[in-house]
Amino acid sequence: MDKIYNDFFGDFGGRYVAEVLRPALDELQDEWVDAMNSKDFRSELDLMLTRFAGRPTPLMYAENATRVLGGAKVFIKLEGLSNTGAHKINNVLGQALLAKRMGKRRIIAETGAGQHGVATASVCAKLGLECTVYMGEVDIKRQRPNVFWMELYGAKVVPVSGGQATLKDAVNEALRDWAGSFKDTHYLLGSALGPSPYPDMVREFQSVIGKEVQREIEQQKLDVEALVACVGGGSNAIGFFHPFIDTENPRLIGAEAGGKGKGVGEHASRMSGEGKLGIVHGYKSLFLLDEDGQVQPTHSISAGLDYPGIGPQLANLGIKGRVEFTRVMDSEALEAVQFFAKHEGLVFALEPAHAGAAAMKLAGELPQDKSIIVNMSGRGEKDLFILARSLDRQKWYSFLRSEVKGNEK
Amino acid sequence: MKNRIMAHMVAFYPSREKSLETARALIDGGCTYLEVQFPFSDPTADGPYIQEACKQALEKGFKISGGFELIGDIRTFSNIPIFIMCYANTIFYYGIEQFLECCVSGQVQGLIVPDLPVDYDEGLFEKSECRGLEPVPVIAQSTKPDRLDMILKGRSEFVYAAIRKGITGSFTDIGEENIQFLTKVDSFGKKILAGFGISEKHQIEAISSWIHAAVVGTAFIKEIIHSGKASIYNVIKKKIQSLI
Repeated sequence: MDKIYNDFFGDFGGRYVAEVLRPALDELQDEWVDAMNSKDFRSELDLMLTRFAGRPTPLMYAENATRVLGGAKVFIKLEGLSNTGAHKINNVLGQALLAKRMGKRRIIAETGAGQHGVATASVCAKLGLECTVYMGEVDIKRQRPNVFWMELYGAKVVPVSGGQATLKDAVNEALRDWAGSFKDTHYLLGSALGPSPYPDMVREFQSVIGKEVQREIEQQKLDVEALVACVGGGSNAIGFFHPFIDTENPRLIGAEAGGKGKGVGEHASRMSGEGKLGIVHGYKSLFLLDEDGQVQPTHSISAGLDYPGIGPQLANLGIKGRVEFTRVMDSEALEAVQFFAKHEGLVFALEPAHAGAAAMKLAGELPQDKSIIVNMSGRGEKDLFILARSLDRQKWYSFLRSEVKGNEK
Repeated sequence: MKNRIMAHMVAFYPSREKSLETARALIDGGCTYLEVQFPFSDPTADGPYIQEACKQALEKGFKISGGFELIGDIRTFSNIPIFIMCYANTIFYYGIEQFLECCVSGQVQGLIVPDLPVDYDEGLFEKSECRGLEPVPVIAQSTKPDRLDMILKGRSEFVYAAIRKGITGSFTDIGEENIQFLTKVDSFGKKILAGFGISEKHQIEAISSWIHAAVVGTAFIKEIIHSGKASIYNVIKKKIQSLI
């Protein structure tokens, strides 16, 4: 695919928004395409990616994990080493620089796990932009540390109580803000979904992941069988897969949140579950819907995968069979976090731990001369509370109790 | 001359029976059109009041089939023109043609679907028109002139003009800019339904000579919330009468 602006990917995508948002999206499309053709813009972005975000991120051979799993060589793309701890910053830098170029002074964003919010707040602080982040109340509860970081960067975090009070409701609230504020405000959407041009724009800004991986594959002459990424909305996956989409190999594998089970509200598997064609949040794609088209509740141990829809390009690639999808349970993701911590000295965030778990299964089934690459899209420090509660509950709770006690004195 | 009102209500809010009572009060109180919103889980273009009303209506068991049954019940006592307002996914997932057939059997006059704009409409405009239904295009104050031409060159009799900034329920003071916009829209010869967070009569009077009818929605929901033990019928009827 050589066009940067596509709007539709097969049946999926589009710009299904109320007229009040239309001028904002039309302007964004024109300005973004213009910026991408500007050498100055691209070199400014490259410089920020290098000097501020810490790119390129390493591709690490997971030698110990490979030995234990006894099959294909496992490589890990360490996106979690980026500034602010996840791949999110690639897209944030791109869009924030674009917003400045467009003369906007204020940024709004939605966040689920908080990683996109943290990256946005950090970049806004760096670039001198005002920042408001919408976050569901449920997500604030599970990811309190990220709220602390956002506020430290000077962002305003607005709790969203409507709907299910998770990521999808934060998107709704950000869209509402934007409908009345787009003259001076840019909506910095964090995933490769939403109305066009977002799916195209976010993919292009995230494709730096795949391009770096592609260079490493060539330099190290790796025989890569598969790339594995977790898929919530899908921004890390589409950026990682991008240079390989039009080729037959390697296999591209997306790991979705299998959650606690297959029942309604127990998971967030659209492609490997029961996603249905719908139009939500301004784009047409596969969503978890009830028989009346209402968006169903979702669950994942990782806030970043807990979203009822999937980016339109990934939906299309799934339908065409280019991307394979698999579901990974909460418990398997937790096991993967422990496995890579013990064997590789890496703490995966719970989101990419889903990809890690999928890779663990796959590696054992493949011969030793093959390689698979996992995108560790974020590191796990943000999950301290969830991990400690799940893995070492008693000690953790007694620590928390003593913290509270100590402070009350 | 009396003010024409397109009265908005959410089906099944605050319950099925009370939404029927609301419809009766709006009609008895003298609305010209009834706009019945079919609630959706993710009403992106609506403000907090309508959003919460939609959430509660879904908890009260709203289903699309139930929405059409409610309209059937309204038809037993009134011939008022009814427009259905819904989001794209409600009609798309149900099947556009099937949904429109239900509108025809329910003697619905038209549809307002804000997130199916004319160039991403999934065939809604053509499919509605060929069944004698009125698809109402929505425009906003910020709509660019060439796009306004494109939207308004269609055959539709009505146009829904969102002259507030942003979402439903937020009020815009009417200024020179609004009047210029309405004058331009008026030159296309459509009947303008204007929504801008209206809650008082004097707001309607400020623009009544440029519009066909004023859309009032959030104001009725606030009345229902604050009705306490009073009958919803009485508070709603009193409210709409105060606007006309």
